[in-house]
Amino acid sequence: MRDLAHRLLTYEAGAGETPELADRATLRVYEKLRHSLSAFAGVAAFESLAFRALTQAKSEAPGLWSAQVAADGTLQGLGEFESQMDMDKYLAVEFSADDGGIVLIARLLGLLRIFLGEAITLSLLRNAWPGEAFDDRN
Amino acid sequence: MSTQDKVKINKLPTGVPGLDEIVGGGLPEFSFNIIAGAPGSGKTTLAHQFVFANATPERPALYFTVLGESAIKMLRYQQQYTFFDPAMLPGSIRFINLSQVVLEQDLGAVLAEITKEVERANPAVVVVDSFRTMVRKPESQMDLQSFIQRLALFLASWQATTFLIGEYAEEELRDNPIFTVADGLIWLRQTAERNSIVRKLQVIKLRGQDSVPGLHTFRITDAGVQAFSRTFGLISRKRNPPSGRRLSFGVPELDRMLDGGVREGDSVLVAGSSGTGKSVLATQFISEGIRNGEPGIVAVFEERPEAYAERATSLGLDLETPQKDGKLTILYLRPLDLSVDETMQSILDAVQKIGAKRLVIDSLAGFEMALSPGFRADFRESLYRMIFALTGIGVTILSTVEVDESFTEFPFSTYSISFLTDDIIRLRYVSIDGQLRKIMVVIKMRGGNHAKDIREYEITSKGVVILGKRLANYQGLISGIPVHTGRPDSTEEPADDTGIDHKT
Repeated sequence: MRDLAHRLLTYEAGAGETPELADRATLRVYEKLRHSLSAFAGVAAFESLAFRALTQAKSEAPGLWSAQVAADGTLQGLGEFESQMDMDKYLAVEFSADDGGIVLIARLLGLLRIFLGEAITLSLLRNAWPGEAFDDRN
Repeated sequence: MSTQDKVKINKLPTGVPGLDEIVGGGLPEFSFNIIAGAPGSGKTTLAHQFVFANATPERPALYFTVLGESAIKMLRYQQQYTFFDPAMLPGSIRFINLSQVVLEQDLGAVLAEITKEVERANPAVVVVDSFRTMVRKPESQMDLQSFIQRLALFLASWQATTFLIGEYAEEELRDNPIFTVADGLIWLRQTAERNSIVRKLQVIKLRGQDSVPGLHTFRITDAGVQAFSRTFGLISRKRNPPSGRRLSFGVPELDRMLDGGVREGDSVLVAGSSGTGKSVLATQFISEGIRNGEPGIVAVFEERPEAYAERATSLGLDLETPQKDGKLTILYLRPLDLSVDETMQSILDAVQKIGAKRLVIDSLAGFEMALSPGFRADFRESLYRMIFALTGIGVTILSTVEVDESFTEFPFSTYSISFLTDDIIRLRYVSIDGQLRKIMVVIKMRGGNHAKDIREYEITSKGVVILGKRLANYQGLISGIPVHTGRPDSTEEPADDTGIDHKT
């Protein structure tokens, strides 16, 4: 899941034409997942999964301490975390294991895989990122 | 208006084995249907099967979930079924959650949301699960009626076949406007009968189609819902006229007693107490059929097929080779929780698969015991339907039944099922000369001649062998305690008797 999360973040970071846009990669990945999953399963279901994923991610990435999942499923407080990060890392697309963004997205994808299985999770991702090719090895 | 001018309503496959037959060939295209039933009765699974059978990328299915089970959990469980193809999501099957709209807005907003999604996707199938949770608290009855009316009209106009899934009580059938608007209403029931769950479905309403009335058993397995039509899928099959052909039992003297053998398409009952050789006779009947190029089915309930075949080997009858050659199927129907229709469907499937001409049910007592208690009340009726259906297509059926041996009466069956059979052969013990010997008599042969002889027989390493002389020098043989008449033993050829007309 970490590899898959890395790919999504890389994709979104690359999609940003300026560093200012690229640094919001985590939020963009999260938002795409939120829109896709909320439409599919409902806001409450997404919010529950996201809350659980964030709780798990915080234990691995203390930098996420200020992040919170709101009742509508949006992620709040991540900007503070991202602003502290080295923007060069995003530009170089070098995410380290303790990056909060990658941990959070990996945890969220992990929960999806647990509940829905690999095939449906990838189907959902293909729907949210139509231009990106996903295969089952990720 | 000629037949050619009439609109043709396409029938869509339900994706549920057995259900197409029940609904008259498939569900009408563009129909507005309700699947109703208690929680856990299989409503969602049935809807999923329809969706997976009909959705395409060009005409997808929209599956609206409302309150209750979330799509994530629903899919987690539903993907365990073999019909579930994850590759169809989201291209052909799209799940859309309406809970927020339902919770925060009114029915008008719900309709607007459904309209928006339908216009965007142009779906062939629309499911709302659960519709009941959506309209649990309408502002007024008129609002609900108007909402249902507009929804039905809109979805029909968009050429979508629609399913509303709801947990309804049967008392609501009279008053709830949704049932008036619906074109089709499928009701799923499950009840506890002693330690078993009995599942039945009923097509209460289906506009424009001739569905099979009554309650049909269904089961939920790894493959999803499977329905068992009360007509066993043979409703449209034409009954074969009686061929008049005689089938050999593989016991020459018995064939003579039956005036040449069992008539093709007859239902034969072999009744007797334990150890009288009913199963041996049945095995000889099926083996003789295979020898004559007539594939056979043996449905056993009391022992495993291997044991059944081994016992046949001890009689010099090879049941292994014909099984390998696809000429014989020994069905072992697992005991204790079967429905009658389900069991019979298994038998019918096997009959049709190998083109069986002979069927042995060994035994009816075992068959009944294999059923869950709730289905035993239906046993006779279902047996009648199956025998009628199978004999109608030319299958000859031999059923064995154990009867309690009595020395005061001569019962044919404890099941009062002799009306189901064309021919009855009764086996029993008699006490003669200090020995417990066995006698056989043909009690009944519908519309045909048969011998009235009471014949003594033995079970040997070659199976049932009828001894050469009929027991003419005893009276009261059928009581089991005969009295010697004092006359010398008969040397008459028993076959002479078959020339006498003893039609029954």
